Amino acid sequence: MKVSLFIPCTVDIFMPEIGVAAYRLLSQLEAYPMYHQDQTCCGQPLFNAGYRDQAKRAARHFIEVFGNDEHIVSPSGSCISMVKHHYPELLSDEPSWCDRARELSERVYELSQFIVDVLGVTDVGASFDGKVTYHESCHILRALGVSDQPKKLIAGVAGAQYVELNNANACCGFGGEFAVGFPEISHALVKDKATNFLNTGADVLLLCEPGCLLNINGYLHRNHPGKRAMHLATFLAGSMKEA
Amino acid sequence: MEAHTDRFKETARRELKNEMSQIFLSLLPPGFTILRQIGMSSFPDPVSAVDQARAIRAEVIERMPELLEEFEKNAVSKGATVLWARDAGEANNIILEIARKRSVTYVTKGKSMITEEIGLNEHLIKEGVDAFETDLGEVITQQLSLPPFHIVGPAINVPPEEISAVFLKKGIIKEPTTNPIELGKAVRVYLREKFRHLDMGIVGVNMAVAATGTIINVENEGNIRMTKSSPRTLVAVMSLEKVVPTMADAMHMVRILCRNCTGQKISSYVSMDTGPKKPGEIDGPEELFIVIVDNGRSEIFRDSKTREVLKCIRCGGCLNTCPVYSKIGGYPYGFAYSGPMGQVLNPLLLGIKETSDLYHACTLCGACKEICPAGVDHPSLLLIYRAREVSLKGKDGKALPFIEKTIATFVSLGMSRAWLWNLGAKIMRPVLHRLSHDGYIRNIPFGVQGWFTCRDLPAMPAKTFHEIWTERKHSPVTTSRKT
Repeated sequence: MKVSLFIPCTVDIFMPEIGVAAYRLLSQLEAYPMYHQDQTCCGQPLFNAGYRDQAKRAARHFIEVFGNDEHIVSPSGSCISMVKHHYPELLSDEPSWCDRARELSERVYELSQFIVDVLGVTDVGASFDGKVTYHESCHILRALGVSDQPKKLIAGVAGAQYVELNNANACCGFGGEFAVGFPEISHALVKDKATNFLNTGADVLLLCEPGCLLNINGYLHRNHPGKRAMHLATFLAGSMKEA
Repeated sequence: MEAHTDRFKETARRELKNEMSQIFLSLLPPGFTILRQIGMSSFPDPVSAVDQARAIRAEVIERMPELLEEFEKNAVSKGATVLWARDAGEANNIILEIARKRSVTYVTKGKSMITEEIGLNEHLIKEGVDAFETDLGEVITQQLSLPPFHIVGPAINVPPEEISAVFLKKGIIKEPTTNPIELGKAVRVYLREKFRHLDMGIVGVNMAVAATGTIINVENEGNIRMTKSSPRTLVAVMSLEKVVPTMADAMHMVRILCRNCTGQKISSYVSMDTGPKKPGEIDGPEELFIVIVDNGRSEIFRDSKTREVLKCIRCGGCLNTCPVYSKIGGYPYGFAYSGPMGQVLNPLLLGIKETSDLYHACTLCGACKEICPAGVDHPSLLLIYRAREVSLKGKDGKALPFIEKTIATFVSLGMSRAWLWNLGAKIMRPVLHRLSHDGYIRNIPFGVQGWFTCRDLPAMPAKTFHEIWTERKHSPVTTSRKT
């Protein structure tokens, strides 16, 4: 099986440990991923800001870099949704690119989705002594329909006690440019998310979206030092028995 | 109505600090969402019920012109008079003329979003015809000159003390009281007088059935039924998209509308009028005018990218589920329509330039799209408006958008060239390092301060993933594919 790893720009620049964890996790499951060094960003920040011509440039580049891969896997649902749902629309006036985008959209996966649905694995051999909870990131839940997969992976962690997060599917208030453009509203939303997390008494808040992670951890670091959210990949890879 | 969409941010900030608004926002949207879930689960197959509603609305926006003609033909054959208004001004004048010709001194009104949109009350009152809202919430907002806080509960956030004070001032009550039952009773008595002597009533329309020429109204207080059945002359105002093909479609949409709005299987009152009172009938208006208002909608219809906005049935489900609305309420949106419904509709009605905050104030979470029984894809529409804004920005020659556009173009060049992208990361690192302490950045004094009002940013680690990978000696690094 040929697996190709797409590292989102936020992960590449601010949280490379998530990329390393995703690599370790896939390797542990013998789905050794390749990494194209020509990859950059999916272009979503430009697309969401309305800069479509510029976003097209990123989209065409992505298609060129990943176009021949069998399975393209990323530790982000938002970037995958961009490729899967918005590339065909974005490139709709360039038929040959649009066809390639459509064809590519069938081969992109969010990491937990890939591990559970394609590799058929729910126990990666991790163990954790403590309480965990899970935040349903909007694009993972609603754009990709991925919700059971990460929960199955969490359930597969030996010793981990799972507690339900109140309003788990409520937006954390990130929204990319939204967090910068509407800071007061974003603040109110991330505060709710953090409060719900603190109320669970869980040791760690797990999630699968780097954007939400930057937002929630940024808030926790400022307001509740010592409490933290973690990408599911980092959590699983960190609690795996060394192969 | 006068639009204040340019005050979104300041009004939102004010509302975030408004204790009364926050109390209701913490109760109302989650409450409605629970009621909705209970209501929807009363369908034998809720998913199919929503699919069917979406199919009906999709058919409506494809066949709108012919459906409207069919509706007109059938309504006229049942004795109604159908009048078409191109815009708000024309609609207001048509209705004013109907009132003037009959020497009407006042009208009562059923709660109607289209008449809020065109500013009918203001126009009638200015021209000497008094207009009285009759929905309890609308009575309160009209007396206080407030815009609707929520499409279903326009005055739900107004405390009884404030209601008591304004009712006392306007003579609706004689003694001050904050007892909601007393206040409700007083409004009842006050409105009965208006209905008793009523010559002309004005209502909106929830559905206009093409096959039968019937107008349908859905409500919970009976005030619309009173407004429809008390006067000699009834004026029903509808926007183009209210039309549905058949009575069976209308009945399904009533089921969906009530469940998605308040969680009811059916509202307390549903009234259907097919033409005015016929010989031998004991009640109903002697004449029925149906004013069909365009106000920009045929242009929306002609644009295949935005046409789906016309699918909306104004149930308000999207408001209740929207994270942004749930924090700021209806006022910041600055127009008749608030929440995601307003965010997709107002920019097309008022202009892209005038409504920038509306389509940016969204996290693209998709909760509205998910809950929408009409099949509107709100996030995609907002993204289209953002793109249209960018294409407008180049033309008015302002300095900042030009800089922004240049940055966007530069970033996109980096995104399509890995060496430039990675060089960018290298250049960024020392800049960010200077701003960070103990592994975190607490502020960046240019461009993105909003991020730092409540949160930090992790410092940029010593190596990007790309650099970590490149430096691994025995990794299965793939060769470059780009030629």
